[in-house]
Amino acid sequence: MSGKVIVITSGKGGVGKTTTTANLGMALAARGKSVVLVDADFGLRNLDLLLGLENRVVYTVLEVLSGDCRMEQALVRDKRQTSLALLPAAQTRDKSAITPEQMKEITGRLSETFDYVLVDCPAGIEQGFRNAIAGAEQAIVVTTPEVSAVRDADRIIGLLESAGLKGPRLILNRYRPQMVEAKDMMSVEDVLEILAVKLLGLIPEDEQVIVTTNRGEPIVLAANPPPAGQAYLNIARRLEGEDVPILEFKVPNNGFMAKIRALFSGR
Amino acid sequence: MQTLPNSLPTQVSFKGTSEGLKLLVPVELAWDEVILQLQQRLNAGERLWQGGAPVILEVKDRLLDGPQLQAIDALLAAQQLRLVKVRTLRRQTAVTAAVNGLSVDQTDSTPPKDPSNPEPLYVHTTLRSGMRIAHPGPIVLVGDVNPGAEMVSDGDILVWGTLRGLAHAGANGNANALIFALRLQPTQLRIADRVARAPDTPLATPQPEVAYVSENTIHICYISEYTRRR
Repeated sequence: MSGKVIVITSGKGGVGKTTTTANLGMALAARGKSVVLVDADFGLRNLDLLLGLENRVVYTVLEVLSGDCRMEQALVRDKRQTSLALLPAAQTRDKSAITPEQMKEITGRLSETFDYVLVDCPAGIEQGFRNAIAGAEQAIVVTTPEVSAVRDADRIIGLLESAGLKGPRLILNRYRPQMVEAKDMMSVEDVLEILAVKLLGLIPEDEQVIVTTNRGEPIVLAANPPPAGQAYLNIARRLEGEDVPILEFKVPNNGFMAKIRALFSGR
Repeated sequence: MQTLPNSLPTQVSFKGTSEGLKLLVPVELAWDEVILQLQQRLNAGERLWQGGAPVILEVKDRLLDGPQLQAIDALLAAQQLRLVKVRTLRRQTAVTAAVNGLSVDQTDSTPPKDPSNPEPLYVHTTLRSGMRIAHPGPIVLVGDVNPGAEMVSDGDILVWGTLRGLAHAGANGNANALIFALRLQPTQLRIADRVARAPDTPLATPQPEVAYVSENTIHICYISEYTRRR
């Protein structure tokens, strides 16, 4: 068995890589897939926080590499979805603590036992980025509709392509239809015209994402996931090969939320 | 304005010839740059050759060691291209190639190039932020040039797509050089030592445009008007 190794990257920081990794991992696990999330952000690890698993981290990927513990010991099983595991990064070290070859070895080993290996890439284009993409066979680029984030995403796509990771797919995060309507924000079309890649998902801006993130409970776990959570669930289905149309968040006359409710009322 | 470079380094390039596909690797490029450019060419040129095509690697005076030769071979093989022969002027590289089971040619096939008329470079790719193409001859790019990307040529630059980044034509000081684009929305245009910005408001209905130097400044007009005037 050989699972898919997917790196989630962006170039710019703060656009939602880690939130996306946590939610996609949780969504795929909820679909019955075995998923391991690999935190490649050495020195600035956050993924354990977002998953609410911080106090259960004992070993990190470094102890696995040095042989001080077995892989199974380092993996933190999620308390809600037992098919989801986290391989933590070392918080007390920096990006040079690991090499691309070692990362490749780790993701390769994990892909033997998991359906999905999602690698949370640090911001930037330096060694942390090169480590994170080393073992990946697919890439997801996360961006927000801001010129700076799109510019950095463009650079990242170029670097991914020259590293042989072809056809990266895009998640456009924190999308605000009202602002797009008022021509104060780049539209989906504007972003896609520049980046010229396939759109994997569109996540609307939602305060609930911040609330759930701070609580360590990814938004897809909500009993009735709000649009942002539903968008992540849809991305998980697309990763599984299902043909799920992208929800276009347009501002109707009778209010944005009414339209969103209407979109999901049929479910 | 930056000082003008004396000469632009040649790029890694492919050339179709009667004996097969020729891969030219210039002497002066750093090895990392060779690999990066080769990957870019291979990613961009998928349609330009057929599977199993034989490739002749031409390196002139460049010294290649075994691992480097194998790295090139591996990249080519990933695109179903077969490295069959190495043409080099250096004995050591010839020996390395022979040890790796390749046929070797120690002659210089190409006549010395006319420096006043360098060959054009044809690239089919999206030039993304942070990428740079510099070439002594004219550059023809099929695709978009995104903001943050740069194209530099001693000759003309033709973009069969939207030019949003920076283009510098006539970089060796030739003010007769031209920049063409289907949609011209550049961050900045440079011809010889002149610099221009694009108008702040792009055309409502974009048309192919050309930038040229007249009376010491850069002008932009529709290609249709430009050709009519000539």
